[in-house]
Amino acid sequence: MPADVTLNQSAKVARLRPTSPVRLARRVLWLAMRVAMPVVSVMLLWYLAIWLSGLPAFVIPLPERVLEVLWEERAFIFGHLLSTLQVAAIGFLWANVAGIGLAVLFDLLPPTRHMLMPAAITLRNVPYIALISVLMLAFGDSILSKTTIVALAGFFPVLINTMHGLRAADEVQLDRMRILNASWWQTFSQVRLPYALPSIVAAQEITGSGSIIVAIAAEWMISSTGLGYVINHAMQNYRGDKVYAVALLATALSFLIYSFVHALGKRLDWRAAGEQRRG
Amino acid sequence: MAAPISIRNVSRRFGDNWALRPVDLEIAAGEFIALVGPSGCGKTTLLRIVADLQDPTSGEVRIGEDSAAEARRKRLLGLVSQRPAVLPWKRAIDDVRFTQKIAGRVGFDPAKVLAEFGLAGHENKRARELSGGMLQRVNIASAMAHDPSVLLMDEPFAALDEMKREEIGEWFDRELSVRPKTVLFVTHHIDEAVMLADRLLVFSPAPGRVIEVVSVPVPRPRNHAFRQDPRFVAIAAHVRGLLMHQATA
Repeated sequence: MPADVTLNQSAKVARLRPTSPVRLARRVLWLAMRVAMPVVSVMLLWYLAIWLSGLPAFVIPLPERVLEVLWEERAFIFGHLLSTLQVAAIGFLWANVAGIGLAVLFDLLPPTRHMLMPAAITLRNVPYIALISVLMLAFGDSILSKTTIVALAGFFPVLINTMHGLRAADEVQLDRMRILNASWWQTFSQVRLPYALPSIVAAQEITGSGSIIVAIAAEWMISSTGLGYVINHAMQNYRGDKVYAVALLATALSFLIYSFVHALGKRLDWRAAGEQRRG
Repeated sequence: MAAPISIRNVSRRFGDNWALRPVDLEIAAGEFIALVGPSGCGKTTLLRIVADLQDPTSGEVRIGEDSAAEARRKRLLGLVSQRPAVLPWKRAIDDVRFTQKIAGRVGFDPAKVLAEFGLAGHENKRARELSGGMLQRVNIASAMAHDPSVLLMDEPFAALDEMKREEIGEWFDRELSVRPKTVLFVTHHIDEAVMLADRLLVFSPAPGRVIEVVSVPVPRPRNHAFRQDPRFVAIAAHVRGLLMHQATA
């Protein structure tokens, strides 16, 4: 039998080619552009908004003033930042435990889906303001009330994406597992979960970065700690620059979490691994 | 070790529609049976009933002494689909080992067999890195890795071009002489069926029923010279005539 020709011969050749200085310089420049362009575009839009709106500085301060505040009050902000991170992290963890746990339960025992899904949808559609109020009454200004809000906001995307991912497994692979009389766990861990991984990662990208925003919102309403509280306090004192400083920090943090999860997801995603191998 | 298959009065209905009219067939151990017929005639349905992936409306399937369900539980069956079931994140050799791990039975040494299958040097490649022909050979190796008695194949070479299809078909026939299996082979390709099978089950258009069982009285494995043999030409023409007649009836 003649040798088959593989599809990635050119990719192989490309991998073997040594990196020239020009190529390296081009790569460095490309990376620098990727980092600089979002910053430059945000700054341009910011200045444009100041110029076009004509609003006073306490409503829309200059970017340099915001950075100045961030530096000057770094110790104060950092303390509250830790509190926000704690709430976001615990809430995020619970969102995943609940979301992935329920999706796995639905896969293992399909009737539970009909029993529990209506409750999950109802919970999702209750206005968060009402939930926060109830939690405030129940648990007061505690970490439990805030993390519960973050978990409630995050678990639904995790649940839906994981359910979708677990159903995305190729029927041909599932037939293969059935014909081999594989156990539920073998089918789940070896086929369904790897197929679901890209969807689960997509959910983490939403929930991971969203946890920071929801934690701040919860702190803004019920807390005396955290970045939400700092915003609230700054608003009462007409400190728009401080509000912007915290908003900038929260945005950067959310972006960082998103980028980290995205990069981690790419490493875990078997489809991306195949693409990398192809060069 | 190949096992005989007994298909007794097996039929399948979806609501009011018959997918498969009752079929009776005795298949000897090591026999190669091709199921040919137009789309939707119930070939795949029969294959899936034998695989215990679908329940029949009536009748039963015996594989050796076992029912289809018992045979599946004992891991006596191997399945090869049109779309390869090779796990995309696994290397070829790991995919073959995966079957053995799940089945809890090692039919052969994966590295040795992949080399025999013409895949020496490609054992560590993933599905994306293999050509269609290579991938289908990995798929067949994986399906046979736990040494099943029965191999159920649903248009396994349909995605390949004509030349590759003939080449891999002849290769597969030679492999079966080394590792005998009872084979149920669904195909739309009459020449392929005549080339590979001991007997052809010719199906009518939906609702499917077996209109004739055509024997190919030439020992296997056969080489490409058989395509020029008058018996090949006559059998293929006869089967084609049966299908044409049914289509225009």
